Amino acid sequence: MSDHAAAHEAPTSTGIDHKKLIMWLFLASDCMFFGTLISTHLLYRKLFPAGFTDAEGHQRFIQDLFSIELTSFSTFILLMSSFLMALAVSAMHKGQLKSFRRNVLGVIIFGLIFLGCQVFEFTHFYHKGLTIQNSVLGSTFYVLTGTHGTHVAIGVLWLILLYFYSFTGKLGGHMGALDVEVAGLYWHFVDIVWIIIFTAVYLVEYLGPYGIWGSGLPAVVK
Amino acid sequence: MSHDSHHAPVACKTELAPERSDLGLYRPDRATGWTDWLTTVDHKKIGIMYGAFAMMYFLIGGVEALAIRTQLARPDNDFVTARMYNQLFTMHGTTMIFLGVMPLSAAFFNFLVPLQVGARDVAFPRLNAFSLWTFVFGAFVLNASWLFEFGHLAGWFDSFAWHKALVYTDFAPANGWFSYAPLSGTFGANGQALRFTGVGTDFWIIGIQILGVASLAASFNFICTIINMRAKGMTMMRLPVFTWMTLVTSVLIILAFPAITVALIELMFDRAFGANFFNPSAGGQPVLWQHLFWIFGHPEVYILVLPAMGIVSEVLPTFTGKSLFGYPIIVFSGAVIGFLGFAVWSHHMFTTGLGPVPTAAFSLLTMAIAVPTGVKIFNWLGTIWGGRIRFTPPMVLALGFIWMFMCGGFSGVMHSSAPADSQQQDSYFVIAHFHYVLLGGVLLGLMAGLYFWFPKIFGRMPNAPVAYLGSALVILGFNLAFGPMHYLGLAGQPRRTHTYHAGNGWETWNFVATIGAYVLGIGVVIVFGNLVWTAFRGKKCGNDPWDGRTLEWSLPSPVPEYNFAQAPVVASRDAYFEHKHGAKKIGAENDGGEAGVHMPSQSWMPMLASAGFLFIGFGMPMMAMGIPHAGWLVITGLGVLFLGIWLWALEGPGGYMLKTPAPSGAPAPAETVAH
Amino acid sequence: MSSSHEAAPSKAFLAEEVRRYHHFIVLALWLAVVTGAEIVLIYLPLPTAVIFTILTLMSAGKFFAVILWFMHLIYDKRLLFWCFLAGLVLAFATYAAVLCLFSVERIDTRWFS
Repeated sequence: MSDHAAAHEAPTSTGIDHKKLIMWLFLASDCMFFGTLISTHLLYRKLFPAGFTDAEGHQRFIQDLFSIELTSFSTFILLMSSFLMALAVSAMHKGQLKSFRRNVLGVIIFGLIFLGCQVFEFTHFYHKGLTIQNSVLGSTFYVLTGTHGTHVAIGVLWLILLYFYSFTGKLGGHMGALDVEVAGLYWHFVDIVWIIIFTAVYLVEYLGPYGIWGSGLPAVVK
Repeated sequence: MSHDSHHAPVACKTELAPERSDLGLYRPDRATGWTDWLTTVDHKKIGIMYGAFAMMYFLIGGVEALAIRTQLARPDNDFVTARMYNQLFTMHGTTMIFLGVMPLSAAFFNFLVPLQVGARDVAFPRLNAFSLWTFVFGAFVLNASWLFEFGHLAGWFDSFAWHKALVYTDFAPANGWFSYAPLSGTFGANGQALRFTGVGTDFWIIGIQILGVASLAASFNFICTIINMRAKGMTMMRLPVFTWMTLVTSVLIILAFPAITVALIELMFDRAFGANFFNPSAGGQPVLWQHLFWIFGHPEVYILVLPAMGIVSEVLPTFTGKSLFGYPIIVFSGAVIGFLGFAVWSHHMFTTGLGPVPTAAFSLLTMAIAVPTGVKIFNWLGTIWGGRIRFTPPMVLALGFIWMFMCGGFSGVMHSSAPADSQQQDSYFVIAHFHYVLLGGVLLGLMAGLYFWFPKIFGRMPNAPVAYLGSALVILGFNLAFGPMHYLGLAGQPRRTHTYHAGNGWETWNFVATIGAYVLGIGVVIVFGNLVWTAFRGKKCGNDPWDGRTLEWSLPSPVPEYNFAQAPVVASRDAYFEHKHGAKKIGAENDGGEAGVHMPSQSWMPMLASAGFLFIGFGMPMMAMGIPHAGWLVITGLGVLFLGIWLWALEGPGGYMLKTPAPSGAPAPAETVAH
Repeated sequence: MSSSHEAAPSKAFLAEEVRRYHHFIVLALWLAVVTGAEIVLIYLPLPTAVIFTILTLMSAGKFFAVILWFMHLIYDKRLLFWCFLAGLVLAFATYAAVLCLFSVERIDTRWFS
């Protein structure tokens, strides 16, 4: 979404490009967005540490579902995509369009792998009995990670469009580098949100026999 | 910029040669008439459209209010049904807040901010157009619920299977403006998603969501404009107070709206997909909705009032001939109000049982937030003190603002005491309080702004005697309508109840309040009618009829589309006033003239992207109604939204050059960079 | 939006970009190592509080490393950092308060667990 004032490169009062400033403001706003989602999940984990009841009426724990291998793998993939994105931005700054394309293609592929992992995870959890409808855990988990996944998907779409746009020859110079950098900021933000989710939603569930929230479990359930 | 070469500077955009965008489509740059208004990226035209829509919705919300007051005029009345009454007060609150006050504030932001900071447009002109059209379509979706409601009452839907299957048939929202769960949510285990309310709630959810997008996009834009597009020498502490308050308001919007966005998503998942966020049958916590809503809702109160405070801070110095008393303190107080506004949300929830410590903490913080507000009031009084006051219509309204807003503030501080609040909760006392703040405060402030800047916007002066009459009726009617509600509330009349029995001692004051409401209504019609008349037929006036202080008064009225023929260079606060009456404080950069000023190209794409929300906005509630294939509307909407944004990105920024009057050659004042 | 008339990047600028490039590689390695350490950590027989504290610090470290280097905040104008921090701190403070306001003692959760 390029724009006249920025495109015209009128000097700004602060020396910061409009697009970069607006993206950072958006990210500040998005902090509140994901803060709300993550805290909704955490407070329901705090209130209902026991997990959910599946279709057969069995008490299930979230630890029964999580696969640390899968989550670690997708976390690693997302972190490395962030690295490639940083390289893609760097390439654009240097005016190396080919290097940009190579790196951004890597980001796109890694992003798609991450999304694939999430689709796999969702189907896996669904077959083990966790649905959006049978518990608050299902609602908060699917909506939180699903919203993050939507952010990833939008990022992938954006990068794919940038990738193809780079072949038109119109992506270049200061404005081109800025367009890529702004897309990169978005992508990195999606990555750092996952860094938080990985710890706050996944890892803490492995602490102690019933996860960090398990201390609140009624004795009967334990 | 490859496109600039296509355009030699022209005096008027209709002289431009036709030009194609990167997409190969003709740009609507040369358009006039309707096309011009629909594709405009000019912040002044966008501001005027915001203002026009806001005034229209003020009148709609006012009609709803009068229906409420008519129903309550006497005990055991049956002017409207209880069901219709619920819809009326819900839509009245929602309309006034989201479709009346916020867009009218946005109208001022749009029109004034670039002029006051000395810029030629906002940072992202097309994004600005997107905000406008998203607001227009979101507002339409919200009010379209009335069309469905009337269709239902007229029996148009009776023969349809989906209509027969509906359990609840309130088509307009009916949960109050905060849509508390579980009333707005669901109950029942395992995704049954049984509901307490009809599809009105779904209209409300998607409508507010769309309006949130509009507000967020506009706010990002304004923060960028204010921080990044100030003229040379326009340091932050030289910004007009109105611009400062716009900045604070915009920051509040971008940090407060995400909370309601997520809350609405969660509620939507509850209702549409059987999730359990607020479903008490499955362990969902309805009180979480209250928390999320008020984390947004309390800053929202300041989002409503800060722009009006900014307007008053501009009006008072102008008509007292003095500079604003304690400018840095006023700015700082505004920022503190914004900051503290995030720390007091739970004072709306004292009766939910927060526990003693949180209750005490939120009580104290709420009392604390009265301090910066009081500081501002004293600063305004200090501004008036010893000034040569001119009682023009805007000044009368601004003085009314101070007086009425103070009354609202006093009853507000009463609420901060939790024990007192638990008596006043959900009574007419609360209604009295926030109407004194929002009507006596915000609406009077906004009206003052309208009368103050109308000569600048249209170059025509509103009729003063009519304006005095309207203002007097508004202030009189308003006090007559809401003053008695203090008493009614303390006497126990509950809010959101469609009628009351005789014998409670409420009859007299309810009747008085209803009379007051009609007087207020007549006053508002006169005030707005005068403005509409002025826009087309008013007496022409000069560029600076009020002896103004800030940059916008240095421009011709109406303001030319390029705003500043030469970019201004500013050397003091209230630069234009100083410039007129003392040392020269405004210079000009050597640009414009024959070389031309770069103007942004007009575009259809922002409106196209916004149109996606129209499909989504109708699709979601129609899905909830059970209308077959309504889901496709939502998918179409997402597609249109994506298509609009995509074409927007691909069409290229465009732009053309406009000739301006020859440079005056005024050199920059020497002390520009000092301070 | 052709770049034909724009000057080629200066030497100093390119040297700076190369320096950043190396920072990025080092950081990517660190991110991988810390993530690996986190996964090992949750299986170590340490008190929960200790592991939880270390996990929190590690993820905060990764978070700020990414925003500072990958997102260029350390190279960019300070204002951007404060803009973002405002949102971050506000989100953290608000939702820490919300989490504290919901306590198991005051909400009867027995029916649902």
